[in-house]
Amino acid sequence: MTTTTSPTRTLLSDGEAIEDLVRAEEGLISRRIYADPEILRLERERIFTKAWFFLGHESEIPEPGDLVTRVAGLDPVVLIRDDDGVVHAFLNSCRHRGMRVCRTDRENVSFLRCPYHGWAYRNDGSLMTAFGESHYGEGELEKEELGLIPVAQLDSYQGLIFATWDPEAPSLDEYLGNMKYYLDIIVGRTGGVEIVGTPQIWDVETSWKFATDNFTDNFHVFSAHHSLVELGMLPNNPDFASHGHMIVAEEGHILHLTAGAPTEEYELLGLPQDLRDKMPEHLSPEQVEMARKTAYSAGTVWPNFHWLQLMSSGTMGQPDVPFLNFRLEIPLSPTRTRMYSWLAVDKDASEEFRKATYETYVRTFGPAGIFDQDDMENWEDCTRASVGPAAQRYPLHHKMGIGRPVDTSWPGPGTAYEGAYGEMTHRSWYAAWRTFMTRTGNGDGSAAR
Amino acid sequence: MSATAQSGTPVLPHTELYGRVAEFYHHEAELLDSYRFADWVELFTEDVSYRMPVRTTQFLTDGLGFHEFDFFCDDHATLVTRVKRLETEFAWAETPPSRTRHFVSNLRVREDGDELFGQTNFMITRTRQDLDYQLFTGVRYDRLVRDGDGFRIRERQIHVDQTVITGTNLSVLF
Repeated sequence: MTTTTSPTRTLLSDGEAIEDLVRAEEGLISRRIYADPEILRLERERIFTKAWFFLGHESEIPEPGDLVTRVAGLDPVVLIRDDDGVVHAFLNSCRHRGMRVCRTDRENVSFLRCPYHGWAYRNDGSLMTAFGESHYGEGELEKEELGLIPVAQLDSYQGLIFATWDPEAPSLDEYLGNMKYYLDIIVGRTGGVEIVGTPQIWDVETSWKFATDNFTDNFHVFSAHHSLVELGMLPNNPDFASHGHMIVAEEGHILHLTAGAPTEEYELLGLPQDLRDKMPEHLSPEQVEMARKTAYSAGTVWPNFHWLQLMSSGTMGQPDVPFLNFRLEIPLSPTRTRMYSWLAVDKDASEEFRKATYETYVRTFGPAGIFDQDDMENWEDCTRASVGPAAQRYPLHHKMGIGRPVDTSWPGPGTAYEGAYGEMTHRSWYAAWRTFMTRTGNGDGSAAR
Repeated sequence: MSATAQSGTPVLPHTELYGRVAEFYHHEAELLDSYRFADWVELFTEDVSYRMPVRTTQFLTDGLGFHEFDFFCDDHATLVTRVKRLETEFAWAETPPSRTRHFVSNLRVREDGDELFGQTNFMITRTRQDLDYQLFTGVRYDRLVRDGDGFRIRERQIHVDQTVITGTNLSVLF
């Protein structure tokens, strides 16, 4: 690796440049980015306070006063609907001593009172009362300036609520760009979805980036989930998930639209007929046609929000049922990650479909799911095998399809490639990582500090 | 009556019936810890409901936080599928297998007509490869039916203590 200092390069403490760690165009990704604490220190500032992060769905807090506690980037927040119905996200930390003001996963409140000294905030974040106010002298308690700290920007698309800590970040609309077209197909297809219950949350001993990498990766399925091939629950054909398109909607915003078996059941995301009938009301004919050819879709809104629109079965011999799963990874350390997983269902879904999609998701995905549990095994052992100094000399290989031409006939926005096995979307994700990590590059090694 | 109701007349520890239920649970733990999963699944009735709800942190006045979602919502055919999967060579989450130890304690038994209710605390330790211990704890509420001198589980509700599972995945059985 080069150690040449150049004003356009972003150098780590040992002189290695981030530009050399992620050679996305060549499909070579240094293992150092997965396991080096210095990298996470930089990611804290350059990604986790700059990008837009998924907090939850509007349906999780339908009533005034409803709140859920979530993480925006790396910081704990309260996602709350105020008495006027306006949604806010505040740092979950009292302005006085920093105590967590909300210590449950969800509740309904008219105000939040800090347990420590009793400071109380309205559900719009404003400071209502500080205990013992009479003991403050003139000008010592600036109540109007001491509301809970809001995220810099908060917005939603198709009910998905995102936040950023960067006041200079582009609006969510601009940030999503072409990705909105595909979010419409997946999330907006029947006029809206809602979250079922509460997310499953679990910790995995992995770099967050190995998990993220896996959510744009079709060709692991035959090997990683081979137990289900053995049981006849996946086709015994290594190419079964290779048909469809890989799309780079924007740098880092990536997706697969993957064809299933050539039968009607696997068209239109596998949805039941009553939901299929609603799709033309909410999608363009072009979008409906894309959905018609799609049984499975995985997408990533840069950096760490994913959808999985899949069809599977938790029981041998039973037909596949579709489900829509939202995923998020939050790094706790370079090698430890908190996973969030939500099930969403169409607002207009029948009771019968709600039950079927629920059982299918719970049995096949999430930490106990017979598909998902093997993924965690891979992420953990990828991480463990990448922390050593010798391993870090050898980059990982993301070259599949590097010479494949763009499908210029693709009618949708973004850049599309034919087929669903390839690493174009991986390379785009890593290119976006490099863009964020080097955007404030200074080339003098101070990236390390 | 759901398994969590644990209704009926208490069966006291010095009785023969309590001893047989205790032996049933010790036998079950041994089956799980010695990879005899096909024998384990035989302990459930054909109409079994096997559930592990997700726990959330809530104020006690809002309930125990167990009502919103599941980690497991299996029926008999799904449990059989899990076991068949473990018997393939490709269930990577358990290939090579975890070493588990199921500790089952605090047994309470109630008799309600033909059915019995069994409540047990569990502590499951798990290690894999060269890795540190993982720990799963909680309480199981079972509804049992008699099967000759033994029992079968018609309903199991597994209440885990953690809101965030810290064990990689839930490829172990409870």
